[in-house]
Amino acid sequence: MMASKQKNMTPEQQKYQQLQQKHEKKRPVLKNCIRAFFVGGLICAIGQAISYFYIYFFNFTEQSVGNPTVATMVFFSMLLTGFGVYDRLGQFGGAGSAVPVTGFGNAVISAAIEHRTEGFVLGVGGNMFKLAGSVLLFGVFAAFVVALIRTVLSIWGVL
Amino acid sequence: MLKGHQSWVFQNKPMISATGVTGGPFEANGNLANDFDLLYEDLWMGQESYEKAHRILLEEAIKIALDKANIEKEKIQFLIAGDLINQITPTSFTARTMQIPYFGLFGACSTSMEGLALASFIVNYHGAQNVVTGASSHNAAVEKQFRYPTEYGSQKPPTAQWTVTGAGVGIIQPNEPGKKNPVTISATIGKVIDMGLTDPFNMGGAMAPAAADTIMAHFRDLDLDPSYYDLIITGDLGRVGHDTAFELINKSGLKLERNQFQDCGILIYKDDQPVQSGASGAGCSATVLYGHLLNEMRKGTYRRILLVATGALLSPLTFQQNESIPCIAHAVGIEMNN
Amino acid sequence: MHNTYRFIILMSVILLVSCNQDQKAKDSQLALVKTTNPPPVVTDGHKGNDQVEKIKQDVSSFPELYDVAVVKGKKAILVAYKVKHLHRFKMKKIEKNVTKMLEKKYPKEKFTVSSDYKIFLEVVRLDEKMRSSSKFNHRDAEKRFNEIVKMTEDIK
Repeated sequence: MMASKQKNMTPEQQKYQQLQQKHEKKRPVLKNCIRAFFVGGLICAIGQAISYFYIYFFNFTEQSVGNPTVATMVFFSMLLTGFGVYDRLGQFGGAGSAVPVTGFGNAVISAAIEHRTEGFVLGVGGNMFKLAGSVLLFGVFAAFVVALIRTVLSIWGVL
Repeated sequence: MLKGHQSWVFQNKPMISATGVTGGPFEANGNLANDFDLLYEDLWMGQESYEKAHRILLEEAIKIALDKANIEKEKIQFLIAGDLINQITPTSFTARTMQIPYFGLFGACSTSMEGLALASFIVNYHGAQNVVTGASSHNAAVEKQFRYPTEYGSQKPPTAQWTVTGAGVGIIQPNEPGKKNPVTISATIGKVIDMGLTDPFNMGGAMAPAAADTIMAHFRDLDLDPSYYDLIITGDLGRVGHDTAFELINKSGLKLERNQFQDCGILIYKDDQPVQSGASGAGCSATVLYGHLLNEMRKGTYRRILLVATGALLSPLTFQQNESIPCIAHAVGIEMNN
Repeated sequence: MHNTYRFIILMSVILLVSCNQDQKAKDSQLALVKTTNPPPVVTDGHKGNDQVEKIKQDVSSFPELYDVAVVKGKKAILVAYKVKHLHRFKMKKIEKNVTKMLEKKYPKEKFTVSSDYKIFLEVVRLDEKMRSSSKFNHRDAEKRFNEIVKMTEDIK
């Protein structure tokens, strides 16, 4: 990928890019990883606490507690997004705040807030999934492919 | 008057008689808050949408400038302005409100200097008596169009830049000797330079060669030495692009001092504001020039400056289609009238 | 940034204080963090049922498990247990082995086996209730037992 890109460039462009890279500040990968670890861990710990809350005080088992927990986490994420906190958390925590379900909630809700001014149908409705839509599409598609492979294998008697 | 290949010299020295500068809440916390005429507490500015707020920024800036110059808007011949939003609607809608004959410009973040160069040219050759020129941008409206939703929690790399919420306009009039006003003396129109960079989160790096090219062309065309100017200031290169441009220029043989070469995008915010590499947006160079820099010139800090506004001519569509980022820079020389 | 740190500190203080409040917490409240080791329960009240004790020991002998709770109802026996953290990936296999072992050893009984924490918790609560409240009679216990068994079936 990188090599084919390089080929299409003039020598002048390549020379400049080398010079430019010297000045370009790199993402602090290690620092970001550590932050993501703690922010992601904190979010998951809160999620775990919520799921035990539901187990203790409501009639949910470990298997069925997932749904209400996710709903609660997304609700919190909605509040934080609306109050303008989640984007700062995202800048600090990176993947740690993007990977848990709260990040998915944030992607949907931020788009919905953003396009509120264009009306409910074409604005909110049409743009709500502009970030999360591809996650849904490819998630469902990947699940379909895996299920297909599993079905074929079990018909053959491998599994 | 054309001089050299791509530069104008304004021998009649049109003057910038009054300016109006508005900003948002983030700028109010910034380094240059005192140089803004009007600062809004809220990003919405009392409007229902960020696009309308964007329009208000420019309208108010123009009104302030007209008040300061003590001139009615009917006396203004032309409005030359632009912004970053699709089809530059905030500026065009402002022109609808103001009812001033209007040239809409798009030069991305270089619009401010494109407008100032054209306005000076028109006034220099008696094409108009009073011209309003300027540029504006609104952080949320621009981010919405070019990047992710404002509240989306994505992690920006250290090369990313923060779009300025603000508008800066100036009124250009024919020179009146004896008046202590800044005047435009020359302009260099840049050509589009594309060094093949594709990362929209590294605009500074993409725009640096355009800035360097225009600066070198300026000194070549006008046959000047960089020491002619007290300050050479780029529009919105940010820390990454500014360092790169400095190296490019010095490699070419032009002798440029480090403290003589600055960047509006670095100046406008404080170091502890979370803007990564610096500021950007059409409003960046416009607010810093018409606010801070001209105030400093009136105070006597600088006698002669060269402002090089840089623009990245990309659209959300082109970078999604993996096109590289073409960039442009325009320079205008300004000095104090003696 | 400062506010974030303050918030984190505040949350940890709240957490610590709330943990300290009731020292004499019931077993069921602490079942999450400590090994409860509840005594086997028989819903019709015949204490000292050797068979139930035996089942508990048999299941406890699995090295992957800790904390086993057994309830014997009229028609079935419920076995709930906690799996050691590092073995939780093999939970399905462990459940299969436990069931197989029990069915082989006690072919006459009908077993319901679960590693779900909720089931374990409810068993501990049932035990506490039977011991502490005199109003809670055998019929109530049997009814609750059946509800718990039904809950395990819902999972599957």
